[in-house]
Amino acid sequence: MNKRKFLGLAFFLVAGLLVISGCSSEGSGGESTGDGEAPTEITYATTSDAAGLSPIDTNDSVSSNVTYQVYETLFTQNPETLEPEPLLAESYETPDDNTWVIKLKEDITFHDGTPFNAEAVKYTFEQLKDPDRAAPRASLLEPVESIEVQDEYTVVLKTEEPYGPMLAALSHTNAAIVSPTADKEGNINKEPVGTGPFVFEEWVEGDQITLKRNEDYWREPSEIETVTFKVVPETSTAISMLETGEVQFIDAVPSDHISRVESLNGVEVQKSEGTRVSYLGFNMEKEPFNDPEFRQAVAYGVNQESYVSQLNGLGIHNESIIGPKVFGYNEEATSAAYEYDPEKAKQMIQDNGYEGQEVTLLAANRDNYMKMAEIVQSQLTEIGINASIETMEWASFLDTARQGDYEMTFLGWANSTADGSELLYPNLHSDNIGSSNYSRYSNSEFDNLVEESRTIVDQELRKEKLHEANLLAMEKVPWVVMNHGVVTLAYDESVEGLVVDPTGMWSLYPVSRK
Amino acid sequence: MPAVAKAKKKSDGEKKNNSRLVEIAKSLLKNKLSVIGLTIIALIVLTAIFSPFITSYGPYEQNLGSTKLGIGSEGHFLGTDNYGRDMWSRIVHGAVISLLVGLCSVGLGLLGGVILGLLAGYYRNLDGIIMRIVDLLFAFPGILLAMLIIAMLGTSLVNVVIAISIWSIPGCARIVRGSVLSIKKQEYILAMRSVGASDWRILFKHILPNCTAPLIVFGTMRMATAILSTSALSYLGLGAQPPTAEWGAMIAAGQDFMWEAPHIAIIPGIAIMLTVFSFNVVGDGLRDALDPNMDVNH
Repeated sequence: MNKRKFLGLAFFLVAGLLVISGCSSEGSGGESTGDGEAPTEITYATTSDAAGLSPIDTNDSVSSNVTYQVYETLFTQNPETLEPEPLLAESYETPDDNTWVIKLKEDITFHDGTPFNAEAVKYTFEQLKDPDRAAPRASLLEPVESIEVQDEYTVVLKTEEPYGPMLAALSHTNAAIVSPTADKEGNINKEPVGTGPFVFEEWVEGDQITLKRNEDYWREPSEIETVTFKVVPETSTAISMLETGEVQFIDAVPSDHISRVESLNGVEVQKSEGTRVSYLGFNMEKEPFNDPEFRQAVAYGVNQESYVSQLNGLGIHNESIIGPKVFGYNEEATSAAYEYDPEKAKQMIQDNGYEGQEVTLLAANRDNYMKMAEIVQSQLTEIGINASIETMEWASFLDTARQGDYEMTFLGWANSTADGSELLYPNLHSDNIGSSNYSRYSNSEFDNLVEESRTIVDQELRKEKLHEANLLAMEKVPWVVMNHGVVTLAYDESVEGLVVDPTGMWSLYPVSRK
Repeated sequence: MPAVAKAKKKSDGEKKNNSRLVEIAKSLLKNKLSVIGLTIIALIVLTAIFSPFITSYGPYEQNLGSTKLGIGSEGHFLGTDNYGRDMWSRIVHGAVISLLVGLCSVGLGLLGGVILGLLAGYYRNLDGIIMRIVDLLFAFPGILLAMLIIAMLGTSLVNVVIAISIWSIPGCARIVRGSVLSIKKQEYILAMRSVGASDWRILFKHILPNCTAPLIVFGTMRMATAILSTSALSYLGLGAQPPTAEWGAMIAAGQDFMWEAPHIAIIPGIAIMLTVFSFNVVGDGLRDALDPNMDVNH
């Protein structure tokens, strides 16, 4: 290439760069308002698009983040105490262990004008329980036998057996009340209609969801006028957008990115103890994982502390299955686990003839599962187990794990009701082998304790039963708990009032911008 | 006596071969880029062979107390990765893997390609079938074909070798067929046939040796492609599985730390780049050296 050609090309490239940078600075500059008034819009970046916008038909945190702003539940969990408090409900009483009489707040309407009343509650719960609708969280109200309308603002739930976690279940985002008219006449999974502080505006699939302020909200309307949920598949891109002001907040910051986010100017990071638990699970139906000695040796050989130290503060080391932010936790459980003791582990492996045992660790290639797998693999090698890692993409991983086609794997549970029964029953009760009990753990004594924790209404007694069940499971080690979660939010310093719950949920209602 | 005669004859042949080799080597050494490439390849091969003696840590030895150490840290001159594993040990171990995978897949690919090419070029009635199959394989973009094969066989390094060797077959077959077509019309082949030499003998003793020049060039260039593809497939999670110290897999694992510890992804990237570059320039140099006609173009 001759010199003139080269100069020409260089000039062209520089000119192109200038044009591009000119465009982008114009784009980000357009957002700030000239007259010093605080902006009233807020944008959130999510790594994947919502599956749907109906609380009845979805069960994933991405969808819940949106539905949580549009719909409301009868009760809501106080983030401090984790106790359920009335939201759409006014009060409740339990004349006997099997009856829940719930008084509703009056003069609330759905976004489409439909009045909120006992009929709407009855309709929603019947839809949630309807086998034809096959709601993914139908189990929330599974013990409820009948839903009756006593008068316009009183609804009566009757259960077959006493149902302890009732209020926790009614606080779950998937038990939010939907507009019966909208559901009958349209598709609330695409165009949601609730009673919440924000009204659905538009959903461009794969790109963004827009919500507008509910001007007729039953409380003070929110200070935020427009909310945008933007799909940004790459976390590092989302962080760059947060830096340039294109988005105002992101949540669930991965531990590998947290130090970069914390170093950004004008970005605040909120971290607090969460309800999520991550664990190493055994397939209890396969050899040698059905041998308690083997599992105990693994439990002794895994050093959770060194794993947690790699999470940059986004994990808590506590080997109790029921975590500190979950109902049913008792501090006694903290010291009940098999503490890291590689010598003892090695001894147990040798004594039982498992030296050189080949095991495969199945790991999904997302979140921190790969990190757990690599660290545990190296630690198992040290105690004499030959572990290899098999990685899978999330969807095929879930299929494989559900079918029990694995030896040891890594999983997590979000504990979105923050109730221990909702952790132990789906994950470790023998009823759920083949569905959510991935470890295929079956122990009748444990089953009984969990059932009792579900059927007792006295909350103190429930707590005791859960603690007992927790200790039993920890002793038998179907799981080796890796860590308990820390929930995170990273937001622009102009955002005020945004708080993340221990379950990872956040409401935009109290939020404002300065 | 006959044994001595045979030995003499052989040494004559060797001498002739030697002078040809010296010629090639001379013209190869004239090409500065090839010399650089050859030196790098020699260094990589040596580090791979002596890998246990030049590293002081195992490639899988974690030390969670000293993770993401930068380049030039004490005891780890290339730093450590996110699990505190020594980067130098992993890079050296990666060289072993890359060279082995490259050699195996190119070797297998050449074997398959040579056989198919010889058959297609020599037997007219096989030509149609074989070359149509080859065309079919050519229709897929290379890396896509490899991904397809891995999707069928499952993810592992062995399957990567199989996939890359299958992908090498069509190119090799076409080159060999072309040479065979031109050689088989030469008079000395006709002479062999009239003397009654078997097809087998003609193919392997007289035609194949005349195809070696393009095959050597193809094989060298192919090494570069094979190493690059292995890394690409591992990067995509289809090849080596963690914690294997494969360069592509190391880049994939390291890209999450581009902001705080870029060396975890960049060092294996440089390793891949240097290796692929070296094989390519040596391949280029070999082509110039082996093909006298090339001089016309320069």
